[in-house]
Amino acid sequence: MNHYIWLIRREFWERRAIWIVPAVVSAALILVALFGRTQFISDVPLESPYVGKVYLGLTGALFITIMMLYSTLYLLDCLYDDRRDRSVLFWKSLPISDTDTVLSKLIVALFAIPLVSFVAADVTSLIVAFIVSVRARSMIGGALWEGGAWLQMQALWLYVILTAAIWYLPVAGWCLMVSAWVKRAPMLWSVLPLLVAYLIERFFLGTHYLATLIGGRLGGYAAAAFHGSWNVNDVTSSAWQFMDIGGFFTNRATWIGAAVGAAMVAATIQMRMRRAEV
Amino acid sequence: MPKKNEIPMAPLIEARNLSKRYGSHVALNNANLSIEAGRIVGLIGPNGAGKTSALRAMLGLTTYEGELRVLGREPFRERTALMNDACFIADVAVLPSWLRVDQAIDYVAGVHPRFRRDRALGFLARTQITGKRRMRELSKGMKTQVHLALTMAIDAKLLVLDEPTLGLDILARRSFYDALVNDYMDESRTIVITTHQVEEVENLLTDAIFIDRGRIVLDLSLEDIAQRFLAVSVAADKLEAARALKPFHERHVLGKTVLYFEAMKREQLAEFGELHTPSIADLFVAKLSGGAS
Repeated sequence: MNHYIWLIRREFWERRAIWIVPAVVSAALILVALFGRTQFISDVPLESPYVGKVYLGLTGALFITIMMLYSTLYLLDCLYDDRRDRSVLFWKSLPISDTDTVLSKLIVALFAIPLVSFVAADVTSLIVAFIVSVRARSMIGGALWEGGAWLQMQALWLYVILTAAIWYLPVAGWCLMVSAWVKRAPMLWSVLPLLVAYLIERFFLGTHYLATLIGGRLGGYAAAAFHGSWNVNDVTSSAWQFMDIGGFFTNRATWIGAAVGAAMVAATIQMRMRRAEV
Repeated sequence: MPKKNEIPMAPLIEARNLSKRYGSHVALNNANLSIEAGRIVGLIGPNGAGKTSALRAMLGLTTYEGELRVLGREPFRERTALMNDACFIADVAVLPSWLRVDQAIDYVAGVHPRFRRDRALGFLARTQITGKRRMRELSKGMKTQVHLALTMAIDAKLLVLDEPTLGLDILARRSFYDALVNDYMDESRTIVITTHQVEEVENLLTDAIFIDRGRIVLDLSLEDIAQRFLAVSVAADKLEAARALKPFHERHVLGKTVLYFEAMKREQLAEFGELHTPSIADLFVAKLSGGAS
């Protein structure tokens, strides 16, 4: 297990964007808070319980969206870059199995990158709230603690990281497979075969199962992991009630997707064992 | 009763009918070879002869047909375990550009149980290279030094070098081989080198394996080569008589003709002219081109 620490560290050395991207977003938000207009704050009814939740929710959502995009790019590149520059031959000269290599990339994409973003979102939201509170002489900072909003958000984001990792495993597996296989342009190849398959299905069979399947996976996460909506105005309604934990983990789609994703990861490992060149 | 240490050891590398195909192209065609522990073996062949395919197979980087054992293991199935005892430098350009020298050392120290950090640092201390430099900032020669420092600090039984000095200038090449000879070689280690600059490694090798079009055409120790092959510089008037003894290769140099013979007695040839043992490079050309050149 010890060498996983090194494998993951290696990824942080190579991909400095893992922390630079959230740091830049964070810096941008802090600059806006420092120098942006603050008049609108006075219109917000700070005593209402939803302000803190909405604010934390929006900050977190921004970081999570950027993080997901970056994770996808990372997955498409991680097994391609070292084949392209031939450094794969150096990594393969060390006693690290291809299984461990592939799994370490998956762990970085699904857990390490989201956790870094999560911490960045937390720190940023606290700093921005503090700055705005001081500048606008308001108590938005206080609103964060209203009804345990901040703590609930922590639980919510950890839930998102865990469930998104399971839900999007087939997407991650597909990206890894493309990354381990293609000779060039992994981003293009991640889309092209699916597009061709979609067109073939549409013109020759007249159906659109594939589109439904992919659309359901990409867009179906929120519906699978959460109850319809979170009534943030209601103090008694908590993040716990919003999370559909039972529903998510008993959903067949969750586990079928996870199984397909795991199969793709296994296929990636086999490709990685056989392919040392672009 | 033979003493225990007289029982011959199993070869370090043994290949039986080793084949590798890429589609319709046959890179290795039923190659047989065996490499004993403690040897320094040159795997020599023209471009596309199958050298790299053979090395890739030995290092578990590719699938193959036939039987192959390296350090008693099946390379493709057991690459991870094999890499505890074997290491390789596949090409000088393979250290990633973003990696810092100190990170490279930390990483290898972290994942390789037989890596000795003090040795790597000791080797690097003799160079101009500092730990905070990234590979992209280093010259090709310096990168090779880093790679060699990492590799030589691993207590491995087998070291495989695939065209290790490709693209290096003569100074860097010389210092590479000097370091290899002075700091790495000892009896417990086996080295396999492929290169097309045969002259450069000739005085290093204990064995030479010639490979051509996927087949092993010669696999001998240097002592055996000296016993088995002779080159004779023959004056023009004795040429026909010498040719009657069926040389396997002829070469014309500066008005003289050099004939190459296999398995002939020195006495038989001495009358035709000056005898010498062909260099590996000459023998390689002679063996692979056959006939007159």
